[in-house]
Amino acid sequence: MSSPIVRRRHDAIGRLASTDEKRSEYLAFVLAGETYAARISLVAEILRPPPITEVPRAPVPIIGVVSVRGRLVTVMDLRRRFSLPEAVIDTKSRILLVDAGGDEHVGLLVDEVLQVYRLAESEVEPANVLGGEQPAHLVGVGRPSVPDSRRGEGPVLVLLDLRAAIDSRGESAGALPARRPIAT
Amino acid sequence: MAGSDQGGRGEGSDRAREEFLSEAQELVDGLGRDVLALDELSKAGRSDPELINDVFRAVHTLKGLSGLFGASLMSGLSHELEEVLDDLRLGRIELSQRVLDVVFRAVEAYSSLLVIERTGTGDHAAEVEALLVALAEVSHRGRAGGASPVAQYELDPGLLGVLTEYEEHRLRTNIQSGQLLYKLRVQFPLATIDSALDELKAKARGHGEIITYLPTGGGADADAIELEILIASKEPVDTVRRAFSADNVAIDEVPRRLPQARMTLPPVISTTDRNTSAPPPPENFLPEARTQALGEPPSRLPSMSLLPPDASREMTLRSVSQTVRVDIRKLDHLMNVVGELAIVRTELMSVVDRLRGRAELRGLMHDLLRLHRSFERHLAQMQGGILEVRMVPLGQAFEKLARAVRQLSREHDKPVNLVVTGAETEIDKLIVEELSDPLMHMIRNALDHGIESRDERMRAGKPPVGTIALNAFQKGNQVVLEVEDDGRGMDPKQLAEVAVKRGVLTAEEARDLPAREALALIFRPGFTTREEATDLSGRGVGMDVVKTNIGKLGGIVDVSSDFGIGTKVTITLPITLAIISVLFIEVASRTYAIPLASVEEAIVFHPDMTRTFEGREVMTVRGATLAICPLGRLFGHTRNTALPDHGFVVVAHVGTRKLGLIVDRLVGQQDIVIKALGRTLRGIRGFAGATELGDQRVALVLDVGALVDEVFASERAAESGRAPS
Repeated sequence: MSSPIVRRRHDAIGRLASTDEKRSEYLAFVLAGETYAARISLVAEILRPPPITEVPRAPVPIIGVVSVRGRLVTVMDLRRRFSLPEAVIDTKSRILLVDAGGDEHVGLLVDEVLQVYRLAESEVEPANVLGGEQPAHLVGVGRPSVPDSRRGEGPVLVLLDLRAAIDSRGESAGALPARRPIAT
Repeated sequence: MAGSDQGGRGEGSDRAREEFLSEAQELVDGLGRDVLALDELSKAGRSDPELINDVFRAVHTLKGLSGLFGASLMSGLSHELEEVLDDLRLGRIELSQRVLDVVFRAVEAYSSLLVIERTGTGDHAAEVEALLVALAEVSHRGRAGGASPVAQYELDPGLLGVLTEYEEHRLRTNIQSGQLLYKLRVQFPLATIDSALDELKAKARGHGEIITYLPTGGGADADAIELEILIASKEPVDTVRRAFSADNVAIDEVPRRLPQARMTLPPVISTTDRNTSAPPPPENFLPEARTQALGEPPSRLPSMSLLPPDASREMTLRSVSQTVRVDIRKLDHLMNVVGELAIVRTELMSVVDRLRGRAELRGLMHDLLRLHRSFERHLAQMQGGILEVRMVPLGQAFEKLARAVRQLSREHDKPVNLVVTGAETEIDKLIVEELSDPLMHMIRNALDHGIESRDERMRAGKPPVGTIALNAFQKGNQVVLEVEDDGRGMDPKQLAEVAVKRGVLTAEEARDLPAREALALIFRPGFTTREEATDLSGRGVGMDVVKTNIGKLGGIVDVSSDFGIGTKVTITLPITLAIISVLFIEVASRTYAIPLASVEEAIVFHPDMTRTFEGREVMTVRGATLAICPLGRLFGHTRNTALPDHGFVVVAHVGTRKLGLIVDRLVGQQDIVIKALGRTLRGIRGFAGATELGDQRVALVLDVGALVDEVFASERAAESGRAPS
């Protein structure tokens, strides 16, 4: 549905960022007030949440199943996954359709989708800057140096590996222990 | 071979390879059928040269194909097998059980090799090596032994070389049945050759059989043609001479050779492979095949490097058949599209409904309604068409079983007759694939544990040869499969005793256990250990696995047995996995679908009907006790442990067990396309999949078998004092 938009943004950014440094594209989204980002290559589509059918007995992070053009998709609430307080689905909520491998897509519910960032390697800090051992889905911190007229500094993105977030569904509490220190 | 889908191979060659694999699979399947038929004939003391020729041709084609695709083990196997078959069809060796055994082994080896080719994993070299030796042995021994009956006659190799396969076969048959051979030389005037030949044929018919006729190339003048006619007849030469005397023909008896003289028949290679779409293999194959040392198995095989690989692929891609092989996933995709269209149809109908109230748009509404009906009709046809394509006859699975039965019965020295009925019954391709293993298991059980030894059968006054019946038939929307044996049957008492020993039942429970439920014990996982199976002299090895696998297909397994008389295992399956009939119900404002195959009935629920019996909630339905469970509680939709005060009871049954599921509302019955839940949800018990409702919503389809198991298991756990799960 929204993928053309993503693609358009893509192109726009692609034209802007003409530096020759190697860059990767990240899709930024919001969860409980915090900005996260994940490599866009895994995100097949961004959907407005259709009615979600609850699956009894499913693991906690899973809210249910939806049908996307005839395909059955399991939907996981990333808030629940990261043990954040739950929120109701509103008009800004989106489902990221993520290629989970093995011909399967999993939907990840997020509060809001922001934009695509093209991050140079120099703009990505490894996960260990957060200190201690980090869960597998936490891959680093992105600090895009987007020129901002109002503030001197760009946003801070918590970079996620969405496949790892989907796979280690057994993990529950304390998924993001180092959230507070990195908030600027 | 490994990693064929990831490597640098282009899509085209992958497809060619895929073609090769499916073509080879088809050939091997056909081979299995033919060899089985040969076995049947051989048991009846007969043979069929045409059939042997078919087998020979199939192996020949396989050899060519596998050579082209570098499947060296397979082509090596084909090479040696071809030798044996060539010996067989030319009568150099007899079609003995020993030869058949080796040929059967080769067919099995082909199947294994194909799997290895497809998956790129596994190793079958040792078995093939052993087979090559075995093949060489049978062919070699045959060569050392009796010569072909045809070779005993002084027939012109030039004549033999041009015999068709049928003629060759007739020649051999006639010789074997002790007929004499005569050669007739007749001059026919060219002008009347047709009628004259017909006349001669009619005359010959009374005395013998015309094997073949050929122009000799000689002849007195240009207006006549001389034919040489080969006739087989019982009658002595004088009688034959007298019969044809009027026609002024030269008649000679074909003399027998001296015993030590041997001749080799020129190979008759069919160049028109009627049964295969593959082109004949390149010429260099044959000389190489024939010059191979006869006694020793070739460890490495004739390579096909003489052909450029691209040319070879082109050859195999050319297909003369009218059929198309389709990846079943493509059909699934089409089915999904049809599902989408069904949703469009529903939404279209709601537009029609909205138009209904508008008097000024009545004309438009009627047009739309008409279009809607037409759309609906065509959609149904399309759905039916796709389903039909998915259907294959069960015979495919049965043939493999027949081979296994033959092998097992020889290994165990328990002669059995396999009686198959309903092999033409059609069922979803995916179900057939999944059926092979469970069926094999059941057949093995029947042979291992059901059928008694020959002596035991004699003592019991049964025919010494046991019978295993494999029956298939369609029953409404379902296909029923039965595996029935006339073996020793199962003793419910003994089963119950073992159950007590294994701690599955208490002694008390065992005492009151109805016979049917005792038999159902074989489906318990506890009954699968080897020692129990042997102690029991009954079944049970892995029957729980059979049940689980059948359950996954939406089917049920049931067993009945008369001790001393036999056992019957019945599998009931849906015809297709793609579409099932369900009952939609509602509980706690959520919609679920229950497969109708597991629904016995639905009745109005009233709390007065229930009572609690030793901690179990039960109700009485038509004089029988029914365990009940509120679905909302089972799924944790309600924390309320009390029974609801109204609603419906859906009586679900799995095999012989029944459970009443209490729901709020019955919504209706519908045929649905069922879709599997994703991997993340696969471990969750109680759901077979999900289906789309018309309004973009999804409803879960219950796995009744799992739910029934769960409720009964937790009750048992509660009874034995442990905490319910």
